[in-house]
Amino acid sequence: MHARHLTTGAERGPRRRGPFPSGAAGTDGRPGSGRAVGRAATLAVAAALLASLFGPVRTLGQGNPPRPALGPSRRAVEIAVPANEEDEALLGRPVALAFDGGRLYVADALDCAVKVFSKDGRFLKSFGRKGSAPGELSFPSGVCVAGEAVAVADKFNLRIQLFDKEGRASGGFRVPFAPDRVLAPAAGRLLVTGNPTGRLAGERLLHVYDLSGRLEWEGLEARSSSDPVLDAFRNMILVCPGEEGDFYVVFRSGERVIRRFAGSGRFLGEIAVDERHAVPSVDMPLGRRTLRLSGFCWAASRDQGVFFLSAPEAVAGKDLGPGRAVSVIGSNGRLQDVIELPCAVHRFVVAGGRMFAIDDEGALRIFEVRS
Amino acid sequence: MRKLAVLVLAGLVLVTAGVTFAAAPDLNDQTDCNTNHQKCREYTLNLDSPWYKVAVLLTACDIAFGKCMLGI
Repeated sequence: MHARHLTTGAERGPRRRGPFPSGAAGTDGRPGSGRAVGRAATLAVAAALLASLFGPVRTLGQGNPPRPALGPSRRAVEIAVPANEEDEALLGRPVALAFDGGRLYVADALDCAVKVFSKDGRFLKSFGRKGSAPGELSFPSGVCVAGEAVAVADKFNLRIQLFDKEGRASGGFRVPFAPDRVLAPAAGRLLVTGNPTGRLAGERLLHVYDLSGRLEWEGLEARSSSDPVLDAFRNMILVCPGEEGDFYVVFRSGERVIRRFAGSGRFLGEIAVDERHAVPSVDMPLGRRTLRLSGFCWAASRDQGVFFLSAPEAVAGKDLGPGRAVSVIGSNGRLQDVIELPCAVHRFVVAGGRMFAIDDEGALRIFEVRS
Repeated sequence: MRKLAVLVLAGLVLVTAGVTFAAAPDLNDQTDCNTNHQKCREYTLNLDSPWYKVAVLLTACDIAFGKCMLGI
């Protein structure tokens, strides 16, 4: 009997396993390493209780901004994902997706594995397991297809691991930071992002390596101030591949621009995004003051020369969370369409007119984007 | 009545925090503190949770880090 299976969106029960899953504690195997995280969770519960009592947070305006009036728009038609009966098909904490034209690769941070699906959502295989040996992973947080290899950001092993498409470990290299996302903007080149620790000066958000692990370039200095929590929001970035080795960087909060870089790291310019792309704000008590944080983008992808940006949405009138609306932004920054999805999506990738998304319950949803 | 409820809940929070603090006298190794702090932040940022919740959790990570560094 298979207790865990992946079903279509409507049938799914809760799939998320809490903010600090059991795998979170002591992942390095050293005594005490999980206790600090456990205490952090306890403190978080206490702080959340206090916060809910005094209610300092509010989103601005009345609910979510109205959708702009546009012409005939693209729409998303959902494709039913088959009920995969294998235990391995269940997604524990899916945090990144990559599509190579035929297969979808999903990095599952909780199961420390990459799960492979067909383009119709049929589970094919899983590779990787928890550990630090070759082929093993500790909190994989990013995945991309680099030619014939699948590159995985192996966060807590501080390395990028390469697998062949059958899931066999085929190399990799160490990095001096916890890698977050990985992208292959050009053949033989990997862009690796990292979240700044907030404790070191001059940390960089972008790092470009060749497949042997030689650092070619790093840049985009992390924004820093006296408030590490504020900095964490200001340094949240998303990356999308461009043409001819270029790539794009989107800051999740703050200005409504998309930055373009050459594969060599040269800054090529900014795209100012249409004012009609909804950017809700939230007042957050950070440090000793209240900060108004603009939610520019929750998730982003790029396909056939256009950007797909999902704007955050108000959650219960108090917070900003993932949204249901995806703005289609042209290369000139102009809003072309707004796609309304039947569910909020956390992460997604758009490729060949098909959107692969992770919904609120951590389940895979597939949409055909039609004009 | 509401004030009483707030006071009771605030008391519970303080007791919880006190118990948590009292249970951590042994973690004052700086490397461990840094590692744990980084993991706490990375887990939080990868939760993909609404931002206010993330801010609260990041604050908790920082409090735990400070306490770890002080060895209390």
